[in-house]
Amino acid sequence: MSILEYNGGACLAMVGKGCVAVASDLRFGAQATTIATNMPKVHRINDKCFVGLAGLTSDNQTILNKILFRTKLYSLREEREIKPSVLSNLISTMLYEKRFGPYYVEPLVCGLEGPEDKPFISAMDLIGAPLLAEDFVLIGSTVTEALFGICESLYRPNLEPEELFEIISQCLLAGVDRDALSGWGAVVHIITKDKVVSRTLRGRQD
Amino acid sequence: MSRRYDSRTTIFSQEGRLYQVEYAIQAIDQAGAALGITGTDGIILAAEKKQTSKLLEPSISSEKMYKIDDHIACAVAGITSDANILINNARVKAQQYTYAYQSPVPVEYLVQQICDLKQGYTQYGGLRPFGVSFLFAGYDKKYGFQLYQSDPSGNYGGWKAQAIGDNNRNAQSTLKTEWKPEFTTKEALHLAVKIMSKTMDSTNLSSRTLDIHRLTLGPNGTILFQEVPEKELNAVLEEILKAKALEKEEE
Repeated sequence: MSILEYNGGACLAMVGKGCVAVASDLRFGAQATTIATNMPKVHRINDKCFVGLAGLTSDNQTILNKILFRTKLYSLREEREIKPSVLSNLISTMLYEKRFGPYYVEPLVCGLEGPEDKPFISAMDLIGAPLLAEDFVLIGSTVTEALFGICESLYRPNLEPEELFEIISQCLLAGVDRDALSGWGAVVHIITKDKVVSRTLRGRQD
Repeated sequence: MSRRYDSRTTIFSQEGRLYQVEYAIQAIDQAGAALGITGTDGIILAAEKKQTSKLLEPSISSEKMYKIDDHIACAVAGITSDANILINNARVKAQQYTYAYQSPVPVEYLVQQICDLKQGYTQYGGLRPFGVSFLFAGYDKKYGFQLYQSDPSGNYGGWKAQAIGDNNRNAQSTLKTEWKPEFTTKEALHLAVKIMSKTMDSTNLSSRTLDIHRLTLGPNGTILFQEVPEKELNAVLEEILKAKALEKEEE
C-alpha cells in the first residue's frame, strides 16, 4: 500500500455560478482501523480561500501549519488577504522545495478572487505540479477513479449555490461510500461573495 | 572629551556610558510622538503623523502603527527604515512561536525577543544600534492587556501609560498626574487626544495628522486592533479644543 493511501480521505471542489463548493469526508484512519469520524480535510485560510489536504495526515497537519505561517505573514505585510491563485502557487513552490524528500500531501485550493469574485480551483500532486481546472478538482488517492467518473457525469457548469450543494454532496458521498478508507459522512462549504454556508452530511457510517 | 570613544558602538566610554545608544535615543526624541495608554477594557495607541512635505504621496499604510500578530500591535518612534527591519523580525518570530507551540505568542516573550536583538547591536559586531523605540500593545490569556516600551539599548519595561518621541517628557509628566487605573478605553482615548494636542503643533492637529488605534476584545474572544474612525476622533478633538479655549478664557 502506498503512503498516500495510509490514512484515506477525499476532498472535492466544484465551480458554480458566482460560487465555489468544497467538500471532504470525515474519516481519519490508519489502514483498516478507523480512529476518528470527525476530521474534516478542508481548512479556511480566509473568507474567500479554502485549502483541502488529502494524503498522509501527519504531513497534512505540518503543511497546514506551514501554510498558516506563510499566509499570516503575507496578510500582515501586504495588508490584504491572499488570493486563491497566489496561494496555489505558494503551496506548489513549498512542495517542490522538497522535491527529493516530499511531503506526502495532495493539496486542493479553492475560492473566489478579484473584484468580481471569480471562482478559482486547483489541485496538486505531492511535488506541487498544479492542475487548474474550470469545472472540478478532487484529491484522495483511494477514491479518485470512482469520483472522476461520478463528477464527470453529474457536473454541469453554471449551477446556482443551492444546486451546486446538491451535486457536490451526491458526488462525494457516492464516491466515498464505495471506498473502505474514506467516508463516515461529509462536510460541505458553499462559498459565495457574501457568505460561506457549511453543512455536515450523514452518509454511510462505515 | 570622550569623543574618541564615540565611533566604536560596542565599547563603553570612560564614565561607563554607551554613547551610541544615547545618541540613538536623542535621535528618537526628534521623531514623531507616540503614546500608549492602558484602560480596563483595552489599550489606546496614539501617534503623530509628521507631514514632511505636501508633495509626499499619502501612504496607504501607517508609518507609525503596525500589527505584529492578531493580538499584538506596536507604535514606532524613530528611524522608519530601522523600524521596518525590527517589525518584520517581530512578525516572523511571532509566527515561529505559533508554528512550534500552536498558540499565540505571549506579549512579553515577543518583546524580549526583539529587545534581545536590539541588545546584540550594542555589544557585538561593531554595527550601530537601531534608532527606534517601540510601544508594544498586546493581549494574552495569562496577563490580559499589556503595554511595553523598548528603546535602542534593548531595555524594556511594562507600563500603565507611556510616551515616546517628540516631547515625551512633557507627555509623561501629564500622564503621571492624569492617568487613573479605572480608565476605560473611552477615557484613555480622551486623555490621549488631550496630551497629543499639547505636544503637537496646534496648526497641524487634525484627524489627518493623528493616528489613533484601539486594541480591544471583540466578539467570540477575538482581538481587534482598529483605527479610531474619523468621526469619533473629530468629536473628541472638538471637545478637547473647546475645553482648551475655555481654559484660555479663564486665564
